[in-house]
Amino acid sequence: MPERTPHTEVEGAESSAFVAWPIELDGVTVRYPNGVVALNNVSLSIAAGEMVSVVGLSGSGKSTMIRTINGLVPATNGTVTVGPHTVTTLRGKALRELRGSVGMIFQGFNLADRASVYQNVLVGRFAHTATWKTMLGMASSEDREIVLRALDSVGMLEKVWGRAGALSGGQKQRIAIARALSQEPEVMLADEPVASLDPPTAHAVMTDLERINTERGLTVLVNLHLMDLARQYTTRMIGLRAGEVVYDGPATTATDADFEAIYGRPIQSRDRLGK
Amino acid sequence: MRVPTKPRRLMVRLVWLVVGLLFVGSFWGLDLEWAKIGELPSDVVHYFGLMFSDPDWSKLPEALFQTWRSVSMAWVGALLGVALSTLLGIPAAEGVGPIWIRLPLRWLFAVIRAVPEVIIAIILLTVTGLTPFTGALALAIGGIGTHAKWTYETIEATPTGAGEAVKAAGGNLLQMVRWGLWPSASPELMSLGLYRFEINVRTSAVLGLIGVGGIGDMLTGYVQFRDWSVVGMLIIVVIVVTMTIDAVSGRIRRRIMEGAKSIELDRIV
Amino acid sequence: MTNTLVLPPKPRTWPRNVGVVLALAAMTLLTTLPRLGGVEIDLGSIARNWSNAAERIGMLLQPDLSILPRTIEPMFQTLSMAIVGTVLAAALAIPLSLWAARPTNPNGLTRRAVRFVLNVVRAVPDLVYATILVAMVGVGTLPGVITLILFDVGIVVKLVSESIDSADSAYMEGGRAAGGTQTQINKVTALPQSWPVIASQVLYSLELNVRISAILGIVGAGGIGRLIDEVRGFYRYDALSTIIIEILVVVLIIEVVSNYLRKRLR
Repeated sequence: MPERTPHTEVEGAESSAFVAWPIELDGVTVRYPNGVVALNNVSLSIAAGEMVSVVGLSGSGKSTMIRTINGLVPATNGTVTVGPHTVTTLRGKALRELRGSVGMIFQGFNLADRASVYQNVLVGRFAHTATWKTMLGMASSEDREIVLRALDSVGMLEKVWGRAGALSGGQKQRIAIARALSQEPEVMLADEPVASLDPPTAHAVMTDLERINTERGLTVLVNLHLMDLARQYTTRMIGLRAGEVVYDGPATTATDADFEAIYGRPIQSRDRLGK
Repeated sequence: MRVPTKPRRLMVRLVWLVVGLLFVGSFWGLDLEWAKIGELPSDVVHYFGLMFSDPDWSKLPEALFQTWRSVSMAWVGALLGVALSTLLGIPAAEGVGPIWIRLPLRWLFAVIRAVPEVIIAIILLTVTGLTPFTGALALAIGGIGTHAKWTYETIEATPTGAGEAVKAAGGNLLQMVRWGLWPSASPELMSLGLYRFEINVRTSAVLGLIGVGGIGDMLTGYVQFRDWSVVGMLIIVVIVVTMTIDAVSGRIRRRIMEGAKSIELDRIV
Repeated sequence: MTNTLVLPPKPRTWPRNVGVVLALAAMTLLTTLPRLGGVEIDLGSIARNWSNAAERIGMLLQPDLSILPRTIEPMFQTLSMAIVGTVLAAALAIPLSLWAARPTNPNGLTRRAVRFVLNVVRAVPDLVYATILVAMVGVGTLPGVITLILFDVGIVVKLVSESIDSADSAYMEGGRAAGGTQTQINKVTALPQSWPVIASQVLYSLELNVRISAILGIVGAGGIGRLIDEVRGFYRYDALSTIIIEILVVVLIIEVVSNYLRKRLR
């Protein structure tokens, strides 16, 4: 059993205190129905409140790994533990409740483009709302307040009634972050959150994630394929290659040789975001 | 000059041979009377003259009343059919329903598709009698075959990202459909619903021929009386009404599909 | 949560939404008023007819297979009509499609004329043609075949000409540059280019034809529909159910074969 971390009151946080959750993977293997082994016997533990990057080329298994943590991809073998929950044994309502405590951000933003920004962020409250109410797009005044606060914290409040599809990529990712924040999660997962963005916007979004970690004290796990972003924004780095952990150590001091070992090839210019 | 030998495309010739044989065999089996085929052009001219040289407009009010009855059948049938198709079509989409729900539903749609609406109406009228209501029900049930197929194909073609996000936030299947799939699929589905109405306008006239009422019913009557000037008027009414509905509905459909885009453009500023 | 948030004004979308809902409701109301000619939604009729209906449905559920031998000849007639109709319609539809598409017919006047005539042809439902043609040339397969041809030409020309319109027609430039006439260019370039589309739509029209020709007989235009009309007249619902199942099987077989052939075309 992972240790529960004590309540950590964060000074200056906008909302009441969070109990950040640790994450534990124990011998996790994922084999897809077509026979591909995406994750091979991966074991690692992430402490509550850590900011960790998962680095690897596409196809290295980092997308799969992040999805085993909220059960979007079921593990074939092994156990995944998030805070008090053993994800790999959860099903149905219990699994949905766990997902409600784990925020997730995607490379493609995954917004409903034709729905309003408000409705998109309201999705973050679904785990806590009666189904019939969500069918009609109704929300309690409390949920409404949470949604508006979340939008305000990413600086997108003035777009609240607009359509999600009308926004730029960076704005969309901020809406997606607001959606994850409105879940009031204990853990934040991000799957290549900046891969579809231009460099300045990418830095802005990474800064948002960093703030979520330092100000709110959330455990943050972010998939990246760019080495400079990993070094700059995260404290710990996990390297994945062909579904196995090949590096686990501090991010800032990771050498170019470490990255070459993760990528399995010499470093190229496209491995850096640059300015 | 040495020219390479021209490739003999055996398969193509074989296909043409099969098509040719099928055609000749079928034609021979039909036992058509050649004399009648010879008279056909003069017949057509003769009857066109009877129908359209002096259409009988005195029956126009009744024709319009019956046309409205056909259009009503088409509308009610489309409304019911689209509602049923949406309810059945969404669970039949990959990524929504499990396979043991998807397969039987798809089989049901294929079976309904294979049965002409007229036959569905013939079965239904044993229960509901020869009324326009039977016509509307037949259109609704018959429409499920194609419309539910379009529905699940549309749902499958919508991007899955938003649905994944709803699942990741702890939403259940219904919430995923409502806020992950519906927003991007609904304009297309509404447009298809209107298209279903256009199709039904034609089919409802056909259903009238078996006696459920409407313009088809009136037409059969006057064809049987050989009252060609009224028949001519009725055909003109059918053509004008059908083409008008097609044009109006087509314009609304374009608005629906383009509106979804243009509103987004407004908000960019 | 101390500070209050300053919200932008919410845009008024409800007038439009209410308008759309009202329009739909009004149309539905108008179409369900029997006095105007609308459909009377009479669920009571189901209850009233129930004893009668239950008996007939019972008969439908017990197909009488003894009628099968009698169905073979009309079923072949139905299939023959479908094939003859499809082939003759295809022969007519190919030149008309080229005539109705912009790249293959730059002349706006004739193009629009062809399209308009075909729109009119398409506006008349299939069985309406059959009814009128039976009255003109008499009961038999001839009115059925003509109906199928009219129906097919309308639909095939529309679909094929639209696909020629939307496809990139750069291939025609070569012909034009070489100084060919439009007819020459069409035959050498446009026709081979659009062949897969034509074949696919013709197969589709064959599928529809089998379905339509099965019921043409109801109005006297030949095929298995004649038998449907007959057994229906004698309330032989057990025999009717056999015929319906037979049509179902034949239509599904044709659909499977046609789907297979269409996949091979791509």
